[in-house]
Amino acid sequence: MSGSIGAEELELFSAGARLFATGAAESSYNLTLDWARSVAGQGVELVAAGDLAPGTLCVAVTLAGSTTALSEQVPAGDEPVRAVRALERRLGERAGAVVALNLAAENALVPFIAAAGLGVPLVDGDGTGRVFPLVEQTTYTLGGLSPVPLALAGASGELVLLETAAGRVEELLRPVVLSVGGWGVAACYPMAARDLARALVPGTVSMLMRAGVPGAPRSAAAPYGVRTLCRGQILAVEGSTGHGADLALPSLPSSIVLREPDGLRRLLRLEAHNEIVLALADGAVVATVPDQICMISTGDGMVVDVDKAEPGLEVDIMVVKAAPVWHTERGLALGGPRAFGFPL
Amino acid sequence: MSGVRSPAWEAPVTVAELVNAGPLAGARMYGTGENPVRGVRIVDEPAVFGTVAPHTAVVLTGTAAGGGWAVEMAMRRAWEQAAACVIAPSGGLSEGSGEVLAERLGVTLIFVDEDPLIVAVRVASAASRPDAARTQLVARCATRLAETDLSARRVLGVLNTELPGTSVAFLDPYGRHLAGRRDATGDRPSAVDGPSAVDGASAGAGSSTDEGWSLSSGKGGRWSAVVEVPDQEGGVLGTLVAAGSSRSPGWPSVVRTVLGLAVAPLTAWAARERLRACLDFALRSSVAERVLAEASTSFSDVEPAPGEEETAGGVRVAAVALGWPVDGPLTAYQIRPVTDPGDASTAQALIIAALGHVPVLARAGGWAGWSSLEPAELVERLERCLPTMPWRCAAGVGAPVEGVRAVGESLLGAEAAAYVAGAGTVARADRMGPAELLGALPTGVLRAPAAVVLRPLLAIDRDGTLLETLAAVLDEGGSLKAAERLGVHRNTITTRLDRVKATGFDLDDAATRLALQLACHVMLR
Repeated sequence: MSGSIGAEELELFSAGARLFATGAAESSYNLTLDWARSVAGQGVELVAAGDLAPGTLCVAVTLAGSTTALSEQVPAGDEPVRAVRALERRLGERAGAVVALNLAAENALVPFIAAAGLGVPLVDGDGTGRVFPLVEQTTYTLGGLSPVPLALAGASGELVLLETAAGRVEELLRPVVLSVGGWGVAACYPMAARDLARALVPGTVSMLMRAGVPGAPRSAAAPYGVRTLCRGQILAVEGSTGHGADLALPSLPSSIVLREPDGLRRLLRLEAHNEIVLALADGAVVATVPDQICMISTGDGMVVDVDKAEPGLEVDIMVVKAAPVWHTERGLALGGPRAFGFPL
Repeated sequence: MSGVRSPAWEAPVTVAELVNAGPLAGARMYGTGENPVRGVRIVDEPAVFGTVAPHTAVVLTGTAAGGGWAVEMAMRRAWEQAAACVIAPSGGLSEGSGEVLAERLGVTLIFVDEDPLIVAVRVASAASRPDAARTQLVARCATRLAETDLSARRVLGVLNTELPGTSVAFLDPYGRHLAGRRDATGDRPSAVDGPSAVDGASAGAGSSTDEGWSLSSGKGGRWSAVVEVPDQEGGVLGTLVAAGSSRSPGWPSVVRTVLGLAVAPLTAWAARERLRACLDFALRSSVAERVLAEASTSFSDVEPAPGEEETAGGVRVAAVALGWPVDGPLTAYQIRPVTDPGDASTAQALIIAALGHVPVLARAGGWAGWSSLEPAELVERLERCLPTMPWRCAAGVGAPVEGVRAVGESLLGAEAAAYVAGAGTVARADRMGPAELLGALPTGVLRAPAAVVLRPLLAIDRDGTLLETLAAVLDEGGSLKAAERLGVHRNTITTRLDRVKATGFDLDDAATRLALQLACHVMLR
């Protein structure tokens, strides 16, 4: 789908981007939205990957690091452009389009800001169809594309260019992000439009704009289907062990125990490691990654972050089905339970 | 071997048995634990569950025990495979959700502190040789019983410690609680007075097999075992009763065997107490006094408070050990030495020889006590006893009363009866009247004063006619009846009375009449 994202569409887009997004702190989200509004100007052209000239250089843009840090260290405003320009300098070629790594909350808006600043179109689609914690966990990787070279721009003018084996990007990037203040904007996965068209999850930007229309069902933001597992009241939030000890994920594992308030009154357990990896009901596996498991507060309808979960809270547990490519053997290896340390 | 152990010992051990009395002792168990365990499987990753056989104890290690999620998944899989239980290492896991899930799925979950691999080996050995595991328990009980002091409380303490999940109590021959846990008799019919209660209780244990225990399905698998404890003479000392709710088919049989082991120590305890009391009059007398004192306050009806149980029940336990009757119809006796009382220990030994195991206490210058014998039988025994005494004695028997609480009243009667009884004879309080009181007058002693009082009369009464007439008038209450009794005309009586009055006696004075009548009675007997 082609079109343009103006001030009005931006509001719909940002609203849609929050529907299943975890980790979206209110202040950093509002900050990013204000940032996007300030650069929206005449709007950004939205193109389908296939409509671009096949040889066009496309660059994935994403926020790297912690959104909490973003709300504490306010952006200078030029980070997305600086990151893409650095990549262009390294490649000796101008980027013809920007694409999102994923479309969760702030991560949906940063590519828009980049496209507006660079004056290039935004590709309608993204690299996950959901969120994964690692830069490598994308359909681009599944499509055989490399995240490097990667350029990271920090809020105090830092600029870092990474070139390494694809599997080591996360390992190198994380300390760098910490040292530049906890967050930065990364430009990565430089690729030709023809490769992008093959690897991306298409149409997700326009889908979120439709889902952001007030009154639209939440399921409109889930292209491959969404189901509500059950309702549950949080009984306890525990530290968790037994998985992921050797995984270098950005946060520590935890475990959320819930009880269905009525109906079957099942005992539920959500194992979280950066995101909710596994859902058990009475000990039986009812959902795992790569599908996205969300807690939606029954009070205000907002997604409840794993680290915001507290006893007494009542939530609906929803499962957003991942793009089919994630359910392939390679997709599961990259984003399935074993990628999070669960021997399932 | 088959003659010693019941076939039930070969029945598979249940999870609860492993935890309560077996290799998992001290572990924390969630769930009922009623499933039999036929084998063990070590599960280190979820994939292994596909090959877990039913009735297997699943021991989690490695990844499979890695966290709350892993244990929950293991319980689910165990449920699907009909495993007997899930055994998980306790380290660092929160047990709350496991408890909830154990209840929801009906899969027993056990947390152990030890290395799961060591636990697995021990469970495997118990599961493969259930009779060996049970024999081990019985052997441990036998050792503990051999080491313990000879005392009903200690013996019951051992039983209740070594047979977890099982309540054991020791009841007296009247079916009342003496030692051990009261809930052992929880669903037995409430004790009835009298020795027949024991028979009633064994029948109450239901369709007792020859094993002496029964499984009644109606009460959530509650079973009970009853073993009678004889005293050294073959009588009934009391009853050991055990109850529990385990559904393990082998367990009641094991319990019964262990109860059997406790019979000898209990019999020995009672025999030793009796021997000791036989030799020591003071001890026996003091126990009897305490029984009486307690009977007047709390003896049977008031349930003692937990704290005072030791002292309150203690006398009862002692009384039962000595074989004394404390319930049902009781009759008191009193033996009164006519001459100076002799050695109490000798008296006690002779009394016990004649009456059986009865209390003997020093009372009213003699010895008293009570017995469950019928009054007539008691009189007969006492009559045989008196000649064996090295001193001249008289004896009395009180009226029969119900229970030791009322025995004080019977003792008073016995004391009175002993007083009126002549040397070498036995009087019954319930057969005592004015004649017996008069008979009790010490005529020998009174004869001399009587002669002094009557001297003026005797001086003129050459043939004794005047004394006979005076006695007849005083006894019959008037001249008319006296004339009838003596077969003379009433004027004759009047004439003789005038002669009596002439010697100075004022027959209108009541005191003079009483003294004269007493004197006549003494002189004419």
